Amino acid sequence: MKKNTYVLLSLLVLASMVLAACGAATPAMTEAPATEVAMTEAPACAPAGTEPVAFPDGGKSVTGAFDQEPDSIVPYFSQMSFAIWVTQLTLVGLAEWDDQSAFVPELAAEIPSTENGGVSADGLTITWKLKDCLFWSDGTPLTSKDVKFTWEAVMDPGNAPASRTGYDKIASVETPDDLTVVIKFAELYPPWQTLFTQGPNNGGAIIPEHILGGQTALETNDFIRMPTVGSGPFVLTEWIPGDYMTMLPNPNYVGGLAKLDRVQIRFVADSEAAKAALQTGDVDWYPNFSEGDIVALKALEPGVKLTVVAGSDFEHYFFNLGRTEGVDGRGKADNEGFCPFKDINVRHAITIGINRQAIVDSLLSGYTAVPVSQWPNTAWTNTNLEVESYDADKAAALLEEAGYTLGADGIRSGDCNGVETKLSFNFETTTAPIRIEAALAVQSDLAKIGVEFKQIHTPAGTFFGQYVDGGPLTTGNYDLGGYTTGFYPDPYTDNFQCESVPNAEKPDGTNWYHNCDPFLSDLVDSSLATVDIAARKLIIDEVQKYVAENYYVIPMYARGDVFGSTPRFVWGPTGPQSNMNWNAEMWDVTE
Amino acid sequence: MWSYLARRSAQAFFTLLIITVLCFLLTRFSGDPIAQYAANPRMSAEDKAALRERLGLNQPLPVQYFKWLGLAAQGDLGNSFFAKQPVTKLIFQRLPNTMALMFVTEFFTIIAALILGIISAVKQYSLLDNVITTFSFIGFSMPIFFSALGLLLIFAVQFKEWGLPYLPTGAAVWDKKDPVQYIYNMILPVTALVFVQSAGYSRFVRTSMLEVLGSDYIRTARAKGLTTRAVLFKHALRNAALPLVTIVGLDIPFFLGGAIVTESIFSWPGMGRLFWEYAQRSDYPVVLGILLIISIAVVTFTILTDVLYTFVDPRIKIS
Repeated sequence: MKKNTYVLLSLLVLASMVLAACGAATPAMTEAPATEVAMTEAPACAPAGTEPVAFPDGGKSVTGAFDQEPDSIVPYFSQMSFAIWVTQLTLVGLAEWDDQSAFVPELAAEIPSTENGGVSADGLTITWKLKDCLFWSDGTPLTSKDVKFTWEAVMDPGNAPASRTGYDKIASVETPDDLTVVIKFAELYPPWQTLFTQGPNNGGAIIPEHILGGQTALETNDFIRMPTVGSGPFVLTEWIPGDYMTMLPNPNYVGGLAKLDRVQIRFVADSEAAKAALQTGDVDWYPNFSEGDIVALKALEPGVKLTVVAGSDFEHYFFNLGRTEGVDGRGKADNEGFCPFKDINVRHAITIGINRQAIVDSLLSGYTAVPVSQWPNTAWTNTNLEVESYDADKAAALLEEAGYTLGADGIRSGDCNGVETKLSFNFETTTAPIRIEAALAVQSDLAKIGVEFKQIHTPAGTFFGQYVDGGPLTTGNYDLGGYTTGFYPDPYTDNFQCESVPNAEKPDGTNWYHNCDPFLSDLVDSSLATVDIAARKLIIDEVQKYVAENYYVIPMYARGDVFGSTPRFVWGPTGPQSNMNWNAEMWDVTE
Repeated sequence: MWSYLARRSAQAFFTLLIITVLCFLLTRFSGDPIAQYAANPRMSAEDKAALRERLGLNQPLPVQYFKWLGLAAQGDLGNSFFAKQPVTKLIFQRLPNTMALMFVTEFFTIIAALILGIISAVKQYSLLDNVITTFSFIGFSMPIFFSALGLLLIFAVQFKEWGLPYLPTGAAVWDKKDPVQYIYNMILPVTALVFVQSAGYSRFVRTSMLEVLGSDYIRTARAKGLTTRAVLFKHALRNAALPLVTIVGLDIPFFLGGAIVTESIFSWPGMGRLFWEYAQRSDYPVVLGILLIISIAVVTFTILTDVLYTFVDPRIKIS
């Protein structure tokens, strides 16, 4: 018996080790060869190396934690933020947004402008000049032909990118020489800065022709999933699915050799697992805490360093202003919105009847702010606007003025288009904890002015469900809605277009406010009539002012990007449109 | 025997068909995979419509189901919507980690259950029995997330804070040069699982042992002058362990599904996390693939257990 037990025990341990070994061997993504590169001064236009710089004994290494594993690293084929963050480390574009939200060159020598001849007078031709002596991490020259190939790969019908938006407006990409890219648009495309460039909200890195040229179905290509040749500060060398990935320095990075010798990213289940791993030092940073974690993270200081950056994403509540007849024949909705919301006084009262600053102070620990508009913390924000403060008395007076008087049950009611209507409506949003907490505060505030705010929290998959599945946003079956979005790096949105109101004929419409205001619709569209940034800014300023004056939406709070890191990890600065990864070559450790 | 097997196989086939329909409908109605991009300004309405068409989500449900079933019958579980890789590849990347975790867990669970169950039965109503029973009930009634998080906070976070040797917070991290690290990373998840599972198993062993120890043949064995050890291990345990064999046999197919909560808490890259990650994104092919494999395993092992029981216990005959 005893002997048998020992044999069985040995077999089990052996079997588990064999299984584990098989597990590690299964993925095709194995460690790429990495050899020492002599970092001697290279002759002009020669690569500094042809392979990632090997990790030296005692080298400087940091480990990050992601709670979602990227599906694919090369942009264009993924829409995951986590994928774009890894892309920022491994592949670069022509330009990017820095921590101050300034548009700065990356592979490009300068940003095209009318002054330097980069933007043609008619705005249809953009000419980019590349820096000299650019190389991929394998030592192959990176030239204008790679930019052209990138466009061709996105547009190739044999490939299935997640989005072709903007790239489909390009008529041709010409490469008169290795350093010049001439992009000719078929029609005016003001957001041209979002093409072939990258930031946390757009993945537009350049991809290598010498590796992917002549291939199709790139969405399933192993290199697209795991690019082992790159142009960023690091090169992806190892990826064990579900476990971790490793990146080593790119000897040919345009910004110089990274200070760190290795970056690893471990995949954890959620922010709680990340928090524990940060406390033990198993990981050095986690970029995806929610605002609800701020208090807990502050309690862990100084062992864990908390960084909160006010983002350009914002939480907003919006009134369903659908009209089945449309306005001037435009923007017909399937459902009439809640009748009292058609009255500007009611919208105004609800807006100032919510103590938004108190929500920011409590839920976000005061780290962000109540936005003045839907373009917070960007260069497009209308800085002349001011947030209207919480004023319950004024809100109550406005409701009185609108004809809604308090009933015995504490809820106001009044005449709306000849029908006695109670100020009692549904608020629909997702099940995210921060939304539930915010909604509870709003419910309490509005009750004080005689408004009944009934919460409906549905899973995101249902809340954002498509028209044919009866999604409340698309069909307009809601009264007041709320979710987070952000219009950056380019400010354009079709959320206010009359022609985007979804209905049975146009189920894909994205105007989920169901609000057709022809003046506003045309005003937003006019921002696409010029590539001149100053002229566009004036229009977007006007849009913000008009939306604010009409109380069409309630900007609740700017979302915060909440990072936790260990004190030894030195990184930053970071901004709302750069994320922390924009300057990873500068990352370091203190020990 | 063969006609019995044929009958059971036919039943199993129809059971599996019903399971596939139910799983397909449940996953399909659990959410829209494209909804995660709904508020994503990077994707236009046209992009979303194109993606929906490419994934075949705009086809009628019966068409989607039969397409999936037809491919599954040929061993092709399709491609993940988002990872764009074959589902079988994703599963076989994670399966070894889950099997390693679950087999080691099961081994220690059985050892712990046998020791605790036998002691409890032999020392019935003693202080030791009461202590073991109390701990069994604690383990049995405590949610795994609680015990797992507790272990993590004590042996990883607090031990580090107290300056003691501490265990890693998770991950598998198989390093060919340092396989010991893999086992090291396994300690906390295995402990959490063994704590909960052995609680239930040990109660079975205790009850079974008590029943056997009171039977005539054990009295006869004792009357013959056999030592207590010989009576317990040679005669009593063999019969008392039979119900445990059945339970373990039926538990094995569920190993394939991994342990969602434990794998998540300890960031163990196994099937449980694979299922959870892809279920959250409504990636039907992956979710359905895992459910199908588990269903097949459960049905197969149920038949196998029934058949094997006739060999283990000669009193049972298949008619």
